[in-house]
Amino acid sequence: MKKSAIAALALLVAAAPALSQNVKPENQIKFRRAAYTIMNLNFSSLDAMVENKKPFNKDEAVRNADIVSLLSSIPKSYFGEGTDKDTRAKPEIWKNRADFDAKMDKMVSEAGKLPAVARSGDTAALKKQVNDVNEACKACHDEYRVKQQ
Amino acid sequence: MTAAPARIRVWDLPTRIFHWTLAALVVFSFTTGKIGGGWMDWHLKSGYAILTLLLFRLAWGVVGSSTSRFSGFVRGPVAFYRYAGEIISKRPRAVIGHNPMGGWMVMVLLVILLVQAGSGLFSDDEIATQGPLAEKVSNAVVGKMSSFHHFNGWIIAAATGVHVLAVAYYWFGLKDNLVKPMWNGWRTVDAGVAQPPMRAGWLAAVLLALAAAAVYWLVVVYPKG
Repeated sequence: MKKSAIAALALLVAAAPALSQNVKPENQIKFRRAAYTIMNLNFSSLDAMVENKKPFNKDEAVRNADIVSLLSSIPKSYFGEGTDKDTRAKPEIWKNRADFDAKMDKMVSEAGKLPAVARSGDTAALKKQVNDVNEACKACHDEYRVKQQ
Repeated sequence: MTAAPARIRVWDLPTRIFHWTLAALVVFSFTTGKIGGGWMDWHLKSGYAILTLLLFRLAWGVVGSSTSRFSGFVRGPVAFYRYAGEIISKRPRAVIGHNPMGGWMVMVLLVILLVQAGSGLFSDDEIATQGPLAEKVSNAVVGKMSSFHHFNGWIIAAATGVHVLAVAYYWFGLKDNLVKPMWNGWRTVDAGVAQPPMRAGWLAAVLLALAAAAVYWLVVVYPKG
């Protein structure tokens, strides 16, 4: 069940770049939000474990890390032109596209390191990696996302 | 011939510890909130400590030493404007404790820090950090609280700046060092000025323990229920 869910996610990720060209803006926003939402859920769980707010469970940590890592590359494909309406994404994204993409790639690459570190069972290393991902997320939010209304 | 000046205790130890601990924690909270990442865990802990200090100060403002009591230093608009006039003419009268303007600065700082700590409990940074009470309210409320928490952080920075500038003006403009009495408790005054009554330290310790217990319940016990 777990494996098939992850396999489905992997398929979605693989399909993302091809799909985004034909996806209407409204759905692009919907898809990137969906990815972010599930990343947030799993990343919060991972963070709670490395901060000792909930007991460390390696299986759960690995699952959280896999999901965050897999989903991390989805949003980038859904920030097409015209997807700046009814969203907290700032117009600056499309003005500073290269910088936005660099920050996005940084997040994807940091998130991509999570699964291996989680599997190693080294909680100190995992804590450091979680913090690196956290900072990579924040870098974009600070600059390219409107604060909550 | 004038009588020799005397030294009196104007700030009790609990008020001084409160002041400097709060100052350090406010700077720490602001900084960790801006850096984010792995510091968010410390940002939350610092917030709980600040909330504890504020609850203690509210109680100490009612039952504490006379110079720390709200009833002693929260003055009406008449006293406020008269004192403002004295400041403008650079001849403010000597005041034991908070002056009529400083008293309001204290209240403003207490209120904005209290709502800051309170709103933080319901905030969510949408990355990995949620306040302990964020799950207890709707997301609409969480969004509003998070937004306010972010905005109010700058209000606190501005108000703290005003506070520091005012103290600097007393020190360098009016040659009245207010920092030293807040540090060691003593102030040199004209002879004949009465020593304000001071409360026992153990009462402050009890109030601080009660405040800590209340915050512990709020951020650890209640969220699990």
